[in-house]
Amino acid sequence: MISSLIPTWLAQTPTIEEVDAKVALDTQILTEQFYFWTVVIMWLIHVGFMAYEGGASRRKNLMSTAMKNILTIAVVTPTFYYFGWYIYGCFQEGWPKSGHASPDVFPGFCGATAPWSAAMGPNLQDHVSAVFFLAFLLFSWTTGSIMSGAVIERIRLSAYLILTAILGSVVWIMDAAWGWSSGGWLTTRFGFHDAIASLVVHGVAGAFAFGVLLNLGPRIGKYTADGLARSFRGHNTHLTLMGLMLIFTGFYGFYAACLVIQSTIFPGWLNIYGSPTTLGAIAFVITIGFAGGFTGGWFASKGDPFWTLSGGLAGVIAVSAGADVYHPSLAYLLSISGGMVAVWSGGYIEKKLRIDDAVGAVAVHGVCGFYGVFLVGIFAGGYPTGVNNIESSFGGQLMGMMAFLPLAFLPGYVVSWILKKMNLLRVPAEVELEGLDLAEFGQDFYPEFERVPEIIIEPDGREVDSAPVLLDAYWQTNGRPTAPAAVGEERS
Amino acid sequence: MFDAFPFSEWGEDIADFWTFGGHNSTGTWIMTVLGFTVMLVAFWGFVILENRKLTAQADRLKASGALNRPSATTGSGA
Repeated sequence: MISSLIPTWLAQTPTIEEVDAKVALDTQILTEQFYFWTVVIMWLIHVGFMAYEGGASRRKNLMSTAMKNILTIAVVTPTFYYFGWYIYGCFQEGWPKSGHASPDVFPGFCGATAPWSAAMGPNLQDHVSAVFFLAFLLFSWTTGSIMSGAVIERIRLSAYLILTAILGSVVWIMDAAWGWSSGGWLTTRFGFHDAIASLVVHGVAGAFAFGVLLNLGPRIGKYTADGLARSFRGHNTHLTLMGLMLIFTGFYGFYAACLVIQSTIFPGWLNIYGSPTTLGAIAFVITIGFAGGFTGGWFASKGDPFWTLSGGLAGVIAVSAGADVYHPSLAYLLSISGGMVAVWSGGYIEKKLRIDDAVGAVAVHGVCGFYGVFLVGIFAGGYPTGVNNIESSFGGQLMGMMAFLPLAFLPGYVVSWILKKMNLLRVPAEVELEGLDLAEFGQDFYPEFERVPEIIIEPDGREVDSAPVLLDAYWQTNGRPTAPAAVGEERS
Repeated sequence: MFDAFPFSEWGEDIADFWTFGGHNSTGTWIMTVLGFTVMLVAFWGFVILENRKLTAQADRLKASGALNRPSATTGSGA
């Protein structure tokens, strides 16, 4: 009887080729699902940024602030689809190409990133390209959202949308092509290592925002005639803190999406450069990075709730570049320093440079992004990076920083300067005083709550009614908000 | 049950189907150009519409006298 079943069993037993095909399909679907879910989790970053910035704004600017975050999706998505992704696929080797030892890791990848290619639509043979594109798109939204917080309460929505499209679909993705890809010239030639995007996402967005802020100027009343900084009180600190917690949650998706999943090849995970790592290693670093960042932020700010939470973000950003390499204890120590650096640099930018960055984005993302790449040069020097196995070094990290600083800062500065000259960068001073929501939407978005006097905190800590202060500042500048130094000159 | 379906054949039938043509086809190119154009028009619209709103509101506020210099207002009143 048994002998009669053998032919049946043999007939049902798949061949090696059939098993290979099934494993290959299963692997593709696993990869597809993995990136899909990272995209879902990364949406929380944008929910978080919207809540964070909305809470940090004054009541009169709530919806105009949130609308920036929402319309970031509306403009960065098509621009990234039409040309951003193509830049990533086709500009990795820089220009000119000759002499760059960039192995063609993914043959045909450049052509596959064009919007009319077979990879950019329904395709039964390609499960991965579309979700990989989407993961990068979510990174692009994030760069826009980083800038968004810095410029709230006085930038025009349309100016912000133009700037965020340039940042999200040209600037950041160009730097990702150069230094955050397996074929990027900074990595294949110099061993530049920024595994989880300290610099290529955060640092670059911060530097771009800094260029914009120089032209945008401070909010009316931010500085006294003597150049001392006042503080505006955000209308809902709880919303801000919840937003930050949502950003933190979304960061786990961000971190995971920075890896390449290869479930059939040891060890199963690669960083963006093609070097082996594990998901557990980077999850460990991000978690302890938050712990260290909160600690550093708390101590440096003497317990300020806003800066304690921002310190957590800064701590993670400071260790992201080396998250695939660092020992947790090292990550803890470095992230503490990152949280402190963010607080100190934030104070310096606000009080010494007199740059009105409403949420400290330049300090948290910009300064700590560059700081994170700098740290890799010191604490992960010698680590072999990328498909050419070039050792990370301080020089290689410095090369990346020197390439990305002008790549990020100059477009932000130049485009915002052009918009300023066209009188399209900043809302009219009268609208800024009244609040952007009434001009943009014709309504107050807390209709059931009585309006109370808006409070502003003077440099000496006194809380006063902001109306006369802002009106005085408006008249001191003849309705043309300028840098605080100019206000002082006008008075004298 | 699903093993009975001829997925392979169906897959071949639909693999190259895109609305208005397959990749790199004239239809796809036209759709791309149309989409890109609409995107540019949307940017132009964001700028123009917002500028109208802001300018009108600023003019209204100036005309209302709500932002007059406080000392000037009290001075004339006294």
